[in-house]
Amino acid sequence: MAKKRKEIQDVANQISRRMLFVGGLQISFGLILVGRLYQLQILHSDAYLKLSDQNQFDHRLVIAPRGRIFDSKNRLLAGNAEVFELVVIPARVKNLEKLLANIDRIIGLSDEAASEIIDTASKQPNFLEISIKSDLTQRELSKLAIRSAILEGVLFQKNFNRIYPQGKLLSHVTGYVSGVTAQEVEKNQTLRRLVGLKTGKSGLEKTLENSLRGNFGKERIEVNSKGKPVRFISDNLPQRGEDHQLTIDIDVQSYAVNRLKQGNSEVVELATSAVQEAITRNDELQAHINIGETMILKDAKSRYVPPESGAVVLMEIKTGAVIAMASLPSYDPNLFVGRLSNRTWQNINQHPRVPLMNRVVSGLYSPGSTFKMVVYAAALEAGIVSADTTYFCKGFFEFGDRNFYCWQEKGHGRVDGRQAIAQSCDVYFYQIALKTGIDRIQNMANRMGLGVITDVGIPEEKLGIIPNRAWKQTNRGSIWTPGETVIAGIGQGFVLTTPIQLAVMAARIANGKKAITPKLLSKEVENTDDFAPLEINEYVLREIQRSMRSVISDSRGTARNYDIDGYKMAGKTGTVQVKKITKAEREAGVIDNIDRRWKDRDHALFVAYAPYDKPKYAISIIVEHGGSGSSMAAPIARDILKFALERQST
Amino acid sequence: MSWTSRLLAVPWGMVCAILFLVLIGCLALYSASDGVWTASVQQHLMRSGLGFLIAIFIAFLPINFLFRISFFVWLCFVAILMAMPFIGVGAGATRWIDLGFMNFQPSEPAKIAVIVLLARYLSQRSFDQIYKLIFHVPALLIIAITASLIFVQPDLGTGLMLIVGGLAVIFVSGLPKRYVCMGIGLLAAAIPIIWSQLYDYQKARLLTFLNPESDVLGAGWQITQSKIALGSGGMFGKGFLQGSQSQLDYLPEKKTDFVFTLIGEEFGFVGNVSIILIYFLIIFSITGVGLKAKNRFTQLVSSGLAMTIFLYMFVNIAMVTGVLPVVGAPLPLLSYGGTALLTMFVILGITINMSQNSHKEDLEVS
Repeated sequence: MAKKRKEIQDVANQISRRMLFVGGLQISFGLILVGRLYQLQILHSDAYLKLSDQNQFDHRLVIAPRGRIFDSKNRLLAGNAEVFELVVIPARVKNLEKLLANIDRIIGLSDEAASEIIDTASKQPNFLEISIKSDLTQRELSKLAIRSAILEGVLFQKNFNRIYPQGKLLSHVTGYVSGVTAQEVEKNQTLRRLVGLKTGKSGLEKTLENSLRGNFGKERIEVNSKGKPVRFISDNLPQRGEDHQLTIDIDVQSYAVNRLKQGNSEVVELATSAVQEAITRNDELQAHINIGETMILKDAKSRYVPPESGAVVLMEIKTGAVIAMASLPSYDPNLFVGRLSNRTWQNINQHPRVPLMNRVVSGLYSPGSTFKMVVYAAALEAGIVSADTTYFCKGFFEFGDRNFYCWQEKGHGRVDGRQAIAQSCDVYFYQIALKTGIDRIQNMANRMGLGVITDVGIPEEKLGIIPNRAWKQTNRGSIWTPGETVIAGIGQGFVLTTPIQLAVMAARIANGKKAITPKLLSKEVENTDDFAPLEINEYVLREIQRSMRSVISDSRGTARNYDIDGYKMAGKTGTVQVKKITKAEREAGVIDNIDRRWKDRDHALFVAYAPYDKPKYAISIIVEHGGSGSSMAAPIARDILKFALERQST
Repeated sequence: MSWTSRLLAVPWGMVCAILFLVLIGCLALYSASDGVWTASVQQHLMRSGLGFLIAIFIAFLPINFLFRISFFVWLCFVAILMAMPFIGVGAGATRWIDLGFMNFQPSEPAKIAVIVLLARYLSQRSFDQIYKLIFHVPALLIIAITASLIFVQPDLGTGLMLIVGGLAVIFVSGLPKRYVCMGIGLLAAAIPIIWSQLYDYQKARLLTFLNPESDVLGAGWQITQSKIALGSGGMFGKGFLQGSQSQLDYLPEKKTDFVFTLIGEEFGFVGNVSIILIYFLIIFSITGVGLKAKNRFTQLVSSGLAMTIFLYMFVNIAMVTGVLPVVGAPLPLLSYGGTALLTMFVILGITINMSQNSHKEDLEVS
């Protein structure tokens, strides 16, 4: 027994001994590591520090000139101006604040900019360059150059500034560039070393970023002991970004923008005391002047008002080429390139009419009566009605315990489909929508391009809503009611579309064969065979086309006054209620649009194509709170189509 | 045991050291993300939190239970490792299982399973058996089976660490000296055979290690840049967020395998040696639990666990300082990466558990 106990003790002792032995081994190996670190970090530290400095300063990346953007006739829309940039490397500066004060004395530097530079310097490693001023004039450059002795740690760099010669005219299509953001750096660390690099933040500048940016170059710099560069050696030349040509015709774009802005009002001279006084008294006018607007209007009641807001898209029916695309109000993309002051940013960002929003692709509007083509086509296709089927309109449609009113209080009497489109009879569409059913209407709308992303190339594009029963169940959690089909029959209720989708609808109706989609890049319109076939019966389309023609040609058509001289136009008006008319208001008599507050007025819509016999262009227009589709939107569309057609024939 | 002596037995030094390293890891990640609180910092904290829960759970299990399930757990890991070619992900190497929120590397916890199973087997051997080589053969087989499954993934580093950790347990258990010497001799003789079995990229890495300048842009470049970063850090470092090598992306893998280098560049020799000391605090806490214990199972498990952590630290630091070839080994708690981190917390849980049961003498009988 005693022997056994001794044996246990022996083994226990041996285990403890071996554990201590292993521990000793571990300490020895640990000391090897410490020795190695001592060797690297203490003994040879200087040599490694030098190598690390070389890593910092030896190689530098050179920004490539950004690709340019041209219109269809090779006029410059976005280009580069060579500028000299003043940069500072905080690591080489003893007192950054004093240096900035010196620079302020020589060329002027706002306090805002100076504190921003100091802030940036405190947030990032001190060996990274920071831009002080990005577009030095020749005068500033020479002033700085002769005083370079007192400006240690600053460098002059040749750089490129983005310029948009067309200013506000095309800002929503081109978008704009501005400095690299923290999120972009997180995705691509290299960007941080490209001081002064600007990247696309919206529009095509953003979509085409990779192609426009090109490839940065690499150069080596020999630095003397005081940190001044003495020699530049180019290892890799920067490769300039790819140029792009757009389908936009800047002349048509310009005409369309100005025509839409003017609406039905009279343009007044800005430099009169009456107008200037109106601007100081009226916040809304002031807000427009603050974002660089130069057009002020006098409306039918002789009030000074800002230009109209809204959107217009003009596209070629055969190719989908977008000739003009504008969203109003607009902003000047050049403002974003340099240092954007707080005040300028607030003027743009807090503007009551949201100039940064691209209404063409992200403005969601009820299509109103322009949706009636979809409903009619769906009913024809399903055999619910034929061209001869008539309904009686007595001014309202009783359904359930509710009355659905026609815009025409007296009623339209007995109308067939074509007359119902021409006169925009609501009662006819309430009834055929109910019989056709929302699922068939939704299916037809999608085929015409509504509720479908067009992928025209603008990143901010929205989908809109073309509802059906399944949509309501998933998104609203309740079942679809027939009353909702009735109201969808005139393009209201849940239905929401974008102006570009409405233009696509007009183009597809006019084209008749292909499911046209809009294109902004010239190289994309070279091959028109890529479009999918438009799967809508030819007989149905013929009837829709004839109906749209009647809107203009019929003596009672809602756009009867607006045919284009020498060309025939086909179209459809839409007037979308923004504010619900209460029962009391209906009985008291509805107030005229022009007497309501701007915000409460109806949206005016018009979709059209021309010439009717040989379709060339399709257009969609929305004038926000512009009144009625027939009096406001139709004449604008007529004028723009006429301008484009006459220009193309000469 | 009274409630207070139980509490006193917990290796608090180890707990604090682990917490401290997790925090340093977060700061290093913050620096590696250019001074931005990115999702990876949050992830690191969340995984550590999960790790603590796992550690607490393991700490409260009856130690007899750990003892009894060790064979079953090892079998499970063998099954998972065998299934890796079918369920694993990864380019060229199937080391990971995609769990959705993280990539799980089963070979890491497999090391722990092997150690616990070896300890169970060896602690059950009588004192006569311990001195006979034949009774060590099953233990060697356990190591060989597991390691070969890891080698074929292929993951040379983890496999070798498993072998060394397992052999440490056998050595501590009392294998006679003459067999130890024989083993070392055999290993030396086997090196040419092992070399012939290596994959080309593994050979390339070893050759690069011997002569870094031969591959200036590949693995040699990594080591060169890592040495520049460490060396330029000097005694006290360049300062937090001021490491030009790391911030300018000269340093590869700075969030994962080369995090020690990032710390070295920004906090210098002082920072690096402190990190090593903290790891040794953890290693010796575990060894201490073993030395106090009255049963062989605890003694053997703690030796194996201490060796596992030592190997993690040694291999990683030796790799980034150019003492060992680049094998792709993380520095647990500091490196961004899930499995090694969670493995550390499993080790913590087992250690706390053992510290509460060190007075028990006859674990194997119950």
